[in-house]
Amino acid sequence: MQRKTLSMLVAAAFAGASLAAVAGPVTDEMILNDAKSTGDVLSFGMGTQGQRYSTLNKINTTNIKKLVPAWAFQFGGEKQRGQESQPLVHDGKIFVTASYSRMYAVDALTGKELWQYDHRLPEGIMPCCDVVNRGAALYDNLVIFGTLDAQLVALDQNTGKVVWKEKLDEFSAGYSYTAAPLVVKGLVVTGVSGGEFGIVGRVDARDAKTGKLVWTRPVVEGHMGYLNGQENGITGETNASWPGDTWKTGGSSTWLGGTYDPKTNLIYMGTGNPAPWNSHTRPGDNLYSCSTVAINPDTGKIVWHYQNTPNDGWDFDGVNEFVTFDFKGKDGKTVRAGGKADRNGFFFVNDATTGKLLNAFPFVTKHTWADKIDLETGRPVYNDDNRPGNPGADKQGKTVFSAPSFLGGKNQQQIAYNPDTGLFYVPANEWGMDIWNEPISYKKGAAFLGAGFNIKPIYDDYIGSLRAFDPKTGKLAWEVKNNAPLWGGAMTTKGGLVFYGTPEGQLKALDAKSGKELWAFQTGSGVVAPPVTWEQGGEQYIAVVSGWGGAVPLWGGDVAKRVNYLNQGGALWVFKLAK
Amino acid sequence: MNPTLSAVISLLLALLSPACAAAPTDPLGDRGRWPDMQRQFYADGPISFDARVRVEVPANAEDAMNVPVAVDARAVASEGIERIVVVADYNPILKVLEFEPVTVAPYLAFRIKVQQSTPIRAGVKLKDGRWLIGSAVVASQGGGCTAPSNGRGTPGWERTLNTVSARQFSSAVGDRLRFSILHPMDTGLANGIPAFFIDELNLRDAGGNTVARIRPAEPVSENPVFTLDLAGALTVVQIDGRDNNGNKVLGTLR
Repeated sequence: MQRKTLSMLVAAAFAGASLAAVAGPVTDEMILNDAKSTGDVLSFGMGTQGQRYSTLNKINTTNIKKLVPAWAFQFGGEKQRGQESQPLVHDGKIFVTASYSRMYAVDALTGKELWQYDHRLPEGIMPCCDVVNRGAALYDNLVIFGTLDAQLVALDQNTGKVVWKEKLDEFSAGYSYTAAPLVVKGLVVTGVSGGEFGIVGRVDARDAKTGKLVWTRPVVEGHMGYLNGQENGITGETNASWPGDTWKTGGSSTWLGGTYDPKTNLIYMGTGNPAPWNSHTRPGDNLYSCSTVAINPDTGKIVWHYQNTPNDGWDFDGVNEFVTFDFKGKDGKTVRAGGKADRNGFFFVNDATTGKLLNAFPFVTKHTWADKIDLETGRPVYNDDNRPGNPGADKQGKTVFSAPSFLGGKNQQQIAYNPDTGLFYVPANEWGMDIWNEPISYKKGAAFLGAGFNIKPIYDDYIGSLRAFDPKTGKLAWEVKNNAPLWGGAMTTKGGLVFYGTPEGQLKALDAKSGKELWAFQTGSGVVAPPVTWEQGGEQYIAVVSGWGGAVPLWGGDVAKRVNYLNQGGALWVFKLAK
Repeated sequence: MNPTLSAVISLLLALLSPACAAAPTDPLGDRGRWPDMQRQFYADGPISFDARVRVEVPANAEDAMNVPVAVDARAVASEGIERIVVVADYNPILKVLEFEPVTVAPYLAFRIKVQQSTPIRAGVKLKDGRWLIGSAVVASQGGGCTAPSNGRGTPGWERTLNTVSARQFSSAVGDRLRFSILHPMDTGLANGIPAFFIDELNLRDAGGNTVARIRPAEPVSENPVFTLDLAGALTVVQIDGRDNNGNKVLGTLR
């Protein structure tokens, strides 16, 4: 539904006068400069590198106490479910998505709604982990987002009217879409969700102006890629790491999207768990599941891959974001590298050009499945006793207690990197699970797990912990514990601050060097989304979406006791300094 | 009065009153909403009520979700028609549709939802800028705009969405095209159900040329049916368009 109000016309008239400098169509150059340009937020990650770092310092450690709400905007409706969206800001407008495939355009100064789009969803959608959406992408005059029935919709930024719409895949086969698309060189790049239904993960690139498919690259070996409608080579080598026909339903969904670094000209996509969960059905590494896959946007081909969890048996998706940064190694040389806090509890640093492992260290206190990551071989040193047992012909295989749990040392909540402190800020969780395997056969559109589980907290006093790590030494600089699991991303600024939200409803600001809490505000519902910041009319603004939900309340097991009192909501909060 | 003369007079009246204060008298009597309709939809040109623009509706609509309406402007075709804008004064969503009879006759029949008894207006925009207005009143128990579509509650509606059925035929009344499209056409006014409606339809001939355009709005009935007068040329081979979610409509006639 589009609702265009008179206020929009008025706002547009004012915006045209005062914001000419940042108005107009969004270009590739503007997107590549997003991490440095302070007047807008044009991409997921506040820059395609995903650092979630702003050079703004008008709000800083000395004046943060004066940060107050400017306005709040309610998503409304009866559909208050998890709100995991990162807002985008351009031309005086905020574009924010909400649960059930909704999108809003709001005046950035006043919070007045400009238009709203409600995507019509069929009854049979199959999102595994709540009806969330993580945000949109901007290009030209378009704002583009994906829907729970696996469609990609491009709306006119000014009117909210659909300009083009393309089907990513069949929702009835288990496909859905929840990530924010990535725009690279005029292409809108998307993955797919549905790893729990035996779909095959892939990366698609479309002409961002028209939606026309340019290339598609499956991330499971054996599947053919395409470029401009022509065959473009099989991914990997058929049956090299998957026995028999197992690769055909190999999962590895690319459900959390990707990052892009112009310095390497590579797209970095994380890939999900191999399907089914029961690893005994698919002996081998199962490439390229649970990996970072680097793809050249010009050719649609995989340049390198690094597998975080070979032959995964714990649902340790490798989807988490690969955040590129300048890494000064122990030899004193600086290389372009990427940091990734994986579901499996280890933080990986890889050379962004070659994929070579440069460092790996645990960012959680317990990692039962592997003692360490061997920096020479680049592979985990497995604890074989901790792999859930083979059920064989029995109803159930041996149950093991594994930490982290399948919800991960870190899940969809985004990390941030601050080049001033040299620290990564990781919203981590300490939890484990009892997990066992069951026999399974594939049926199109049905859940394809072959496992059972029960999630447990490890500590009485906390599950979540916002942790600051030095990527060179792997040393924990500081941490701030949280009773409920953290599910919202982090953001950091030149003002020496780290912002993040909690399920208990607070948006917090910490000293980026010490972790000292300097400011907090209760948003009224749980925060499971990353904050952003920008500057408009000489003032710095902070925005975050509030609305409890996501995978934790659905799959939370014993964790439910720490979260089941939390109430739902759906609002966009914007803050600025009191004058 | 001679209709041409009446048009000239109303044109003169309009020119003489720059503030547009002299709205022509509504032939339907004192209907409170007419000045609003004029301001919102028919403001950009001299305006006159014209009995040659016929709006045919049943005197009493038994089914408020399916009220048949026929707009017939063939009697003014020779004056050069740009487009026809149909509105319903007392519907919560006023605009019903726009119709551009590019090469077909200016005749369109369809069905609409009404919320209560209401005048239905068809404004014919002439190429010289004038508006000729035809009107009719439909009496109804109402409620048609705030009820969910039947399709909403039907599992698997998305599999048949935008399916087109079409037929061209010659009959005693002329050469006709009738087509229907499966679509819920939800108004967005039923609680918790967003607006979801076809908003663009193009009829094309074998050369791909547009022979007519229809821009439906929310009040057009679920699974809309349209009937056109092809004016002696059974030439439509394709019906294409989309809904407000970007789902495409595509039907071909053989």
